[in-house]
Amino acid sequence: MPDLSVAIGSLRMRTPVMLASGTVGYGAEYEGLIDFGAVGAIVLKTVTVQPREGNRPPRLCETEAGLLNAIGLENVGIERFLEEELPRASRLPAPLVASVGGGDVEEFAELARAAGEREEIAAVELNISCPNVERRRLPLWADPDRVKEVVVEARTETSKPLLVKLSPKAGDVVSVAQAAERAGADALVVGNTLPGMRIDVDARAPRLGNATGGLSGPALLPVNLALVWEVSAAVTVPVVGSGGVRTADHALEYVMAGATAVQVGTAVFSDPRAPSLIASGLARTLERDGLEDVSPYVGLARKRGGR
Amino acid sequence: MTVARDSYLFTLDVPREYPEPQPGQFVQVTTLAELVLRRPFSVAGFRDGRHLELLVEVRGKGTRGFAEAEYGSTVDILGPLGNAFTPPAEAESAVLVAGGIGVAGLRYLAEKLLVEAHRTLALVGDRTRDALLDHLFPEPAGGGRYRVMTATDDGTAGFHGAVTSLLEDQIGRLEGNARIYACGPRAMVREVARIASASGLPCEVLMEEIMACGVGACRGCVIETEGGYRTACKDGPVFDAADLVLAEADDDGP
Repeated sequence: MPDLSVAIGSLRMRTPVMLASGTVGYGAEYEGLIDFGAVGAIVLKTVTVQPREGNRPPRLCETEAGLLNAIGLENVGIERFLEEELPRASRLPAPLVASVGGGDVEEFAELARAAGEREEIAAVELNISCPNVERRRLPLWADPDRVKEVVVEARTETSKPLLVKLSPKAGDVVSVAQAAERAGADALVVGNTLPGMRIDVDARAPRLGNATGGLSGPALLPVNLALVWEVSAAVTVPVVGSGGVRTADHALEYVMAGATAVQVGTAVFSDPRAPSLIASGLARTLERDGLEDVSPYVGLARKRGGR
Repeated sequence: MTVARDSYLFTLDVPREYPEPQPGQFVQVTTLAELVLRRPFSVAGFRDGRHLELLVEVRGKGTRGFAEAEYGSTVDILGPLGNAFTPPAEAESAVLVAGGIGVAGLRYLAEKLLVEAHRTLALVGDRTRDALLDHLFPEPAGGGRYRVMTATDDGTAGFHGAVTSLLEDQIGRLEGNARIYACGPRAMVREVARIASASGLPCEVLMEEIMACGVGACRGCVIETEGGYRTACKDGPVFDAADLVLAEADDDGP
């Protein structure tokens, strides 16, 4: 049996298949549907300092090869998350990663501390890239200097592995990635959704209550794959590929582009079995290729020159 | 089976251990493998513990794909999901109000009520006679204890006017207490809720929204209620009409 395990610092995962933030809520909702035993880690829904109601509906719109969402970071807030949701999620047989979203540097630091000090939490992911919450002229996800500040402050508040989830809509993703790495990030997740919208011509109105939202699903795969390719060449910390992963081969594409692990999100909606099928598919490929672990695949496409 | 208005009644054979759905619950169906989302369909009937019935109107790619599925093919379903209608009390009449394909959400309830010989009035409305789905409700029976009435906007069948006008007309003639159950377009639901509130009658509505996970995880399918946003998939799809915030701006269409 090949060993699928990978690690990001002290976050040890039995497979490189992580569950992306937002899609599986606080985990327990999918108990009995997802085989969490095949999952490397569950990235829980992003929490903020205060509870958030989220955007007005409709919040979803399926589009060609993708899904638009404008949830608006609806969440119960850090306090209830730690009191109610985390104990439920900790029953699940996979490490938990808290995803936190702050409005400013202080909030990120506060959230990283509060989540990081809980033993149920194996790592913290900083969601600097949720496209639906904007406060400033230059948004955080596109601003390397401010990302650096956020990561530096979060770093001082927790010793747990810190993942930073980047946005593909940042003009210069590589600079943001390097800033995060220099500031002490243990891994970079590449990446979040792309902005998008659809209009209902009959209603003469946007299909999303928030007008615009984030595009996930199959359409995102080539976009974020190219970013993983660029980012992994520019940093030394592990990169986690995310966007449109539905099959083991999709996961391998990210790995061969330079990712150490992948996150599966939208694919869970159409098939909750997707994460375990991806993991078993990876095991089969390793066996076929006579490999004992995933590491020989990491960045393999680059070694072949990249036609 | 084609039934009317480009709608189809599907019968799915489910495994013996399949849990018995309750009226109001739904299933998430993989209609086409290449689609990103499943499609939620109300359980429209459940027979012999083995046959799950779904009433589906073709509206887009997914429903079209499902309608064109070959007889005998295997369908991937998730469910039963969501909450269920509150059964009427012994002394309450059940009044079902279905608009258009809303019949899908109330048919299974109607069948249960008929089996239980509960005093039931089912009102079915649509644009015109050819579109009406009243024949998908069980046949009137039980010596008048279970009745079906229709309304069409153009008067080609039954009551001439909106099904909500028929409801207002009938509500005054009911003996004793009643409980209203509604499923249909938002504008109809809003009007039913208003009538129920004005008449002081309890009313539950089955709400429809675009869904992703179906299990309350993604917060995508929220409905606005007095207590904030609630998910149609987990907190619903059945809501107490008095809790809903039904704005005119959210009505379907232009």
